[in-house]
Amino acid sequence: MLGKCFFIICALSVGCGIVTGNIGELAGAAIDGAGRGVTLSLSMLGMMCLWCGVMEVMREAGAIRILSRVLRPVLSRIFPHAFHNGVGDEEITASVAANMLGIANAATPFALAAMEKMDAENTDPDTATDDMVTLAVLGSSSISLMPTTIITLRRAAGSAAPFSIIVPVWITSFICAASGMLLCRLASAAKKGKAKKTKKNTDRKNEEKDCATAHTLSGRKARAKDDPVLGGVSASAAKVSGGGRSAGI
Amino acid sequence: MKLFSSLIIPALLLLIGFVMTKRKDAYDAFLRGAKEGMKTTVSILPVMILLMTGLSMLTASGAADLLSKALSPICSPLGIPSDILPLALTRPVSGSAASASYADLIERCGADSFPGLVASVLMGSSDTMVYVITVYFGATRAKGTRYAFPVAALIGILCLFLSSAVVRLFFTYNA
Repeated sequence: MLGKCFFIICALSVGCGIVTGNIGELAGAAIDGAGRGVTLSLSMLGMMCLWCGVMEVMREAGAIRILSRVLRPVLSRIFPHAFHNGVGDEEITASVAANMLGIANAATPFALAAMEKMDAENTDPDTATDDMVTLAVLGSSSISLMPTTIITLRRAAGSAAPFSIIVPVWITSFICAASGMLLCRLASAAKKGKAKKTKKNTDRKNEEKDCATAHTLSGRKARAKDDPVLGGVSASAAKVSGGGRSAGI
Repeated sequence: MKLFSSLIIPALLLLIGFVMTKRKDAYDAFLRGAKEGMKTTVSILPVMILLMTGLSMLTASGAADLLSKALSPICSPLGIPSDILPLALTRPVSGSAASASYADLIERCGADSFPGLVASVLMGSSDTMVYVITVYFGATRAKGTRYAFPVAALIGILCLFLSSAVVRLFFTYNA
């Protein structure tokens, strides 16, 4: 991915250099750029070490757990299915909390664990559930409380007030994350109409699974097996009603 | 507001110091985390050098100026400074490329200039969208990502627009 990026950048530079007549300056710029890459990394090093150390202490002291407790009521509305069934809810809160604290290397494993748990419970494994998509969208819109790297780089570039962007960052990321969640809801509601037919089928599958596991209902299952006419009728009824709905919408 | 922003870090460090007096393992945790941070920085150093070299050439060749000029008719009505477009394009794809592009931008325009501030807010409120969605879905058996990419892309555009608007509100710029 980065190799391609670098090639495109180089090709653009050489092309433009020839057009604008600046081609003679490219060699010098390349050498300066390599040097700047080093100075940049060095100027980031101090803050990165300090911040990662601070975050490790916070993690050890249970910051993720404390923040999770605060976030739970909000997240249970965003991920209704996961929280209602207790599938991956702890992992989701921990991942969002770690993301907010800026501990990215803790946030991703938590999120992946949540995705795996939700996937294991997914009755239609080819299609991602709404909660899975929502978690991916939430993870891809940053919600960090302290943008450390940016503050460090601002300081390195000689900013008079490197921290001044914190509150604007909070406002922007909050609005973005909130509208992301809203859009996810709208998209899932819009697609639900289309997917009604397949959903009916998965519901039926669910029911059958429930019946198979719950031995109290084994009698009912046996009756359904003995009575193929009834099963066939209800299946075709589901198909008709599903088709009717999607056509209506 | 300015006082509040500059108090966050000292307050946090005070809290960490307090935790260190309470718990013996906190100091070790700090050292462990700091080492981890050093490893991360060192591991992205080669990428930084490669990208900064490329971006430096791009700026020297005049391509960055040409791109900004070409796209400014689309951006200026929306209040988006055209200088941040290269950054906005790399942000969803690669984290280190975006960091390098951001560092290059604030060096050229100034960290406290209008494009510099917008770039800072954009960097802080967006993430490596393509990477996150790909990795997250990699952990599942799902065959597609459904509406994840369209929604995330819309949010990215909203974020670009919002960062300009919020910076304008906050720092009273007329640029």
